[in-house]
Amino acid sequence: MTRLQRSRALRWLCTLGTLAALVIVLFPVYAVIVGSFESTETLFSGTYYWLPHAATLDNYRTVIQAQSGNVLTSLIVGLGTAVLALVVAVPGAYALAKYRLRVTVVVVSALLVAQIVPSIVLATSLFVIFHWIHLVNTYPGLILADGTYAIPFSILVLRAFFFSMPNEVMQAARVDGASEWQTFLRIVIPLARSALITVAVFAFLNGWGDFIFALTILNGATIVPITLGIYTYLGNYSTDWGAVMAAGAFAMVPAAVMLVVAQRYIASGLTAGSVVG
Amino acid sequence: MSTPGMGGDLIGLSEMRAGTSAAPKTAPAKQQGGTAAAVARAAAGIPARRRRHIAGWLFLTPAILYILFAFALPIVYNVMLSFEQTSPATIADLTAPFAGLANYRFILDDPTSRTAIIHTFEFTFGSLVGQFIIGFSLALLFTLRFPGRTLGRSLIIVPWLLPLIVTGLIFKFLFQLEGGAVNQLLMDVGLVHQPLDWLDTPHLALLTVLIANIWLGVPFFTLLLYSGLQDVPVEVKEAALMDGAGPWQRLRLVIVPIILPVIEVTLLLGFVFTVKVFDLVIALTGGGPANTTQLITTWSYNLSFQEFSFGEGAALNNVLLVLAMICAPLYLLLSRGSLRRSSGAEK
Repeated sequence: MTRLQRSRALRWLCTLGTLAALVIVLFPVYAVIVGSFESTETLFSGTYYWLPHAATLDNYRTVIQAQSGNVLTSLIVGLGTAVLALVVAVPGAYALAKYRLRVTVVVVSALLVAQIVPSIVLATSLFVIFHWIHLVNTYPGLILADGTYAIPFSILVLRAFFFSMPNEVMQAARVDGASEWQTFLRIVIPLARSALITVAVFAFLNGWGDFIFALTILNGATIVPITLGIYTYLGNYSTDWGAVMAAGAFAMVPAAVMLVVAQRYIASGLTAGSVVG
Repeated sequence: MSTPGMGGDLIGLSEMRAGTSAAPKTAPAKQQGGTAAAVARAAAGIPARRRRHIAGWLFLTPAILYILFAFALPIVYNVMLSFEQTSPATIADLTAPFAGLANYRFILDDPTSRTAIIHTFEFTFGSLVGQFIIGFSLALLFTLRFPGRTLGRSLIIVPWLLPLIVTGLIFKFLFQLEGGAVNQLLMDVGLVHQPLDWLDTPHLALLTVLIANIWLGVPFFTLLLYSGLQDVPVEVKEAALMDGAGPWQRLRLVIVPIILPVIEVTLLLGFVFTVKVFDLVIALTGGGPANTTQLITTWSYNLSFQEFSFGEGAALNNVLLVLAMICAPLYLLLSRGSLRRSSGAEK
């Protein structure tokens, strides 16, 4: 083989490898979507059909009846988590990046360590504490708990972003007579829009996909997010696979939307938060 | 944001940085007026410097309150709980009688707690090995130029975006005894003659959970390691090539040493994420069969929320917390660049 041929063969080998990886990565998602359109008979036939077999909308009918309230609940929790993350993280990150405060090192260290704390540790304590202050089984309680995923990450990502924002921007505003609050609200926030989107998207996905706090802080009866709804389906003695998968397909929708709409923010944001350099 | 020696764009914020570059154009021209405005403000009462300081504190207050409420308080309270003799009746009171080390003694004597700790180690080790090998291979693959690499890189993050409970349900479906895709494939290929009961056979169940978790974690490893590989200077790679180094030598002697800090951070974070895993196991096996997939997290949940022994659950939580916190000093050390106090706007 000539060198050219060899490099061409190598390139196709790489493409093949990538395809194989993508099949493994995407097949489970494909399986849920296809499964959500299969009839109960097909799903319990004991044979797995790789391609759609006998498509039906029955599962979606079941799920829309049973789970649409839960989807709404998850939307509220996701949006609530996004709002909480923005309200706490944006000014906090700004202060940690642009003001010389004595506590900065302590707070940043605390945020780094906070990312390590396992949720079950927080959930156990928060349940008892919330029980005492009557936040068990409430939206504010769940949203406060869900913030534990998003807030340390958000502050660190936004702080890194604010570091990259030139100080002259703020100085100019001050010179023009703007107060610190006005500078923050009218100058800094509009400039930070893309970073705010990353943080909001990330926080929303956390609130939407949260399971552990929903399982512990809610009693499973009045406020039921979609994740808890799916879990209840799964826990039943004989799983109604069609309904489970239709519910799963619903639960994947925000992720899919984010992937299309905000992909560049997500990819940069997710890695950014994990490695706070 | 970039830590010296840690690979700046590991953080992948280049897009955000690009986003701001257009912003400050209007700023520098106006600087001369500064003194006059400062004088005016000083006349208003509180010196501008001091007022800025106060503003900084006010901006930070919600974050500090949140950290105290959602992290510091629960961690301290968890330690308290672990020394208390709790019962379903005491939950309403916030405190329970002092129990000394009874809860920790229970954890040490309880066979399920002990196996949960062992399973957590096995699970974490297996996940990290699998995720690293696959993630690093894919990251290396994506540094090459070939058709489909951009598509590959953007779709590889899909597992990451799914709610964990959905991942759990998918794998439960795929690994079913009857009509599961995995058994179907293995039988069609002729590797097995009888379908395997993945989720209900003691050794296979932990392996299944492990496979699901590796699937889940590979995107994270791939993306982080890929962004680390982006920082290896082209000149270095070319120089190694000129010196006649083969692919394996280039990888081992040139690339790995350069991105070692990134590898460390990735493994560290992978470790932290894996010891926390909960949703996936609850959805897939619920800790069964016969507690063979019980991890510290799931068993702690069981002690606290199924058996209402919050004291014992809290004691096991503390074992997990210590295990996770082993990484904290190293993590802080690797992130020391971000401990910088400010970029200094407040002058």
